[in-house]
Amino acid sequence: MIVTLTHHQLRSIRRQRTFVMFLGSFVLITTMAALLGYSSSRTIVRVYDEATKLLAETGQPAPPNPFDVTPSLALLSNMTIYVPFIGAILAVVLGHSTVIDDKASGIGRLIFSRPLSRRTYLASKVLAVALALAVVMVVSWAISTVAVLLINGGISPGDVGRLVTYFALSWAYLFVFVLLGIVTVLVTRQRATALLTALGVWVAITFVLPQVTSGIRPVASLNPLTAPAPAVQSFFQMTSHLRPLSLSEEYKSASATILRTGAAESLGQTLTHTAPVLVAAVALGALCLGLIHRHDYSRSGSDE
Amino acid sequence: MPDPAIEVKGLNHVYDDKPVLDDLTFTVEHGEIFGFLGHNGAGKTTTVNILTTLLRPTSGVARVCGHDAVTDRDEVTRRIGYLPSEVRMYGHLTAQENLEFFARLSGVPHPAQAAAETLAYLGAEHLAPLRVSTFSTGMRQRLGIAQAIVHRPAVLFLDEPTSGLDPQGVRQLRETIQRLNEDLGMTVFMNTHLLSEVARLCTTIGVLSHGQLIYQDSMAETTRRFPDERSLEDIYVRVEDATP
Repeated sequence: MIVTLTHHQLRSIRRQRTFVMFLGSFVLITTMAALLGYSSSRTIVRVYDEATKLLAETGQPAPPNPFDVTPSLALLSNMTIYVPFIGAILAVVLGHSTVIDDKASGIGRLIFSRPLSRRTYLASKVLAVALALAVVMVVSWAISTVAVLLINGGISPGDVGRLVTYFALSWAYLFVFVLLGIVTVLVTRQRATALLTALGVWVAITFVLPQVTSGIRPVASLNPLTAPAPAVQSFFQMTSHLRPLSLSEEYKSASATILRTGAAESLGQTLTHTAPVLVAAVALGALCLGLIHRHDYSRSGSDE
Repeated sequence: MPDPAIEVKGLNHVYDDKPVLDDLTFTVEHGEIFGFLGHNGAGKTTTVNILTTLLRPTSGVARVCGHDAVTDRDEVTRRIGYLPSEVRMYGHLTAQENLEFFARLSGVPHPAQAAAETLAYLGAEHLAPLRVSTFSTGMRQRLGIAQAIVHRPAVLFLDEPTSGLDPQGVRQLRETIQRLNEDLGMTVFMNTHLLSEVARLCTTIGVLSHGQLIYQDSMAETTRRFPDERSLEDIYVRVEDATP
């Protein structure tokens, strides 16, 4: 049964504009990140070459090429901003559309008048959307790998592994927002309320929590900086303890370590940053399970 | 003696603190075409929602073919077909694909074959390769019936099946229901407002008012008991008016 439903859901997702938009956006942002990285590195190298020439003319020694000391994956560092900003909002819409159609159209009534458990129904929906998300991540990973290969003139096996780990983390992060999109549909009766609620939570996670939990860095949500200086005001000292709740910050910290664009961290520290994302995914998954059982599908189709 | 097709005992349901069903009790025997009549908000759709396992009743018993709609959900859903008042299917899929999907959900062994045979039975083979998004109301209704019978259920629930249909569509639907009842022996439970259709089609009627069944009898007996009334509408009004 789960295979039937998952297959059906994958076919539906493939034909949805939301998914096409999601995939297209990721192709675009991955390419953009690579192009921006390439463009900035080219500019810096050109300036470096000019400076080296000038220094040579005056008989002074040239400093080392900045790209000899810059991590090879730094050119993709913009991805760690695009994913929480653009990726997460698209993931909310993808999760929302995965369950809203059956509910709003009234097909839910036909489905649940069959010998099908709600757990199986939800599992197949979640499995299908997780697979669709994985496809997007694989495409992004492939583009990133090719970009690094072309721009740097080669890629080490370690960097390939780091990219795989980074996109696996991004998958987990986006999966949290897919589940958020599903939860809000199951909690609310109206399509618009569900979407607005999910977007409200996205705003809180992406903008509010980073500000509150690291108040001394008002641009924290925009720049994937390394560890903040200690908070001096008592309010922010208090709220800094809530940092694990700031999923986007934790994601950016873990990503920076994985791509080696941030301060070096131990494996334990990286896992600490990753844990809140995984905990959120498990918690939202459990919430979905609880909600699907008490959701009233007899009103399916009458809420629009 | 076999269990009745539908058995409802002391059924109560409360929606948002408002009682919708009040100690509802009735029985429908196998092979009947049961017309379930009542004014808007009488509780007809709530009764169907409970019998099709979509809604848990606040209290009371609802059984289909001897199986409890709350505790024995899988057994009930294997034996029922359901056509809601407004038929919606997956618009991006063809009629054949939609039917195959619902046949699979019902555990039909050969879904493609069952879907094709059901469309042929309804004289709607031409709809098979067409996308549902292009369908008219009448075509959707035929496909809705097809999804409700693709697994050959014992009991068919139809909720306001004639809503939105033109006179020709109503007649086609009536003929289809009669064929399903005669050829396949399906018990039909039909919520409707169209009293003329009930008079032509149903073998038994029940009248629901404010969540209570105020009348139930065979059509033959109903006509005999109310010889002075010219139509079912007159009988319906008289029964409703007689209720305190």
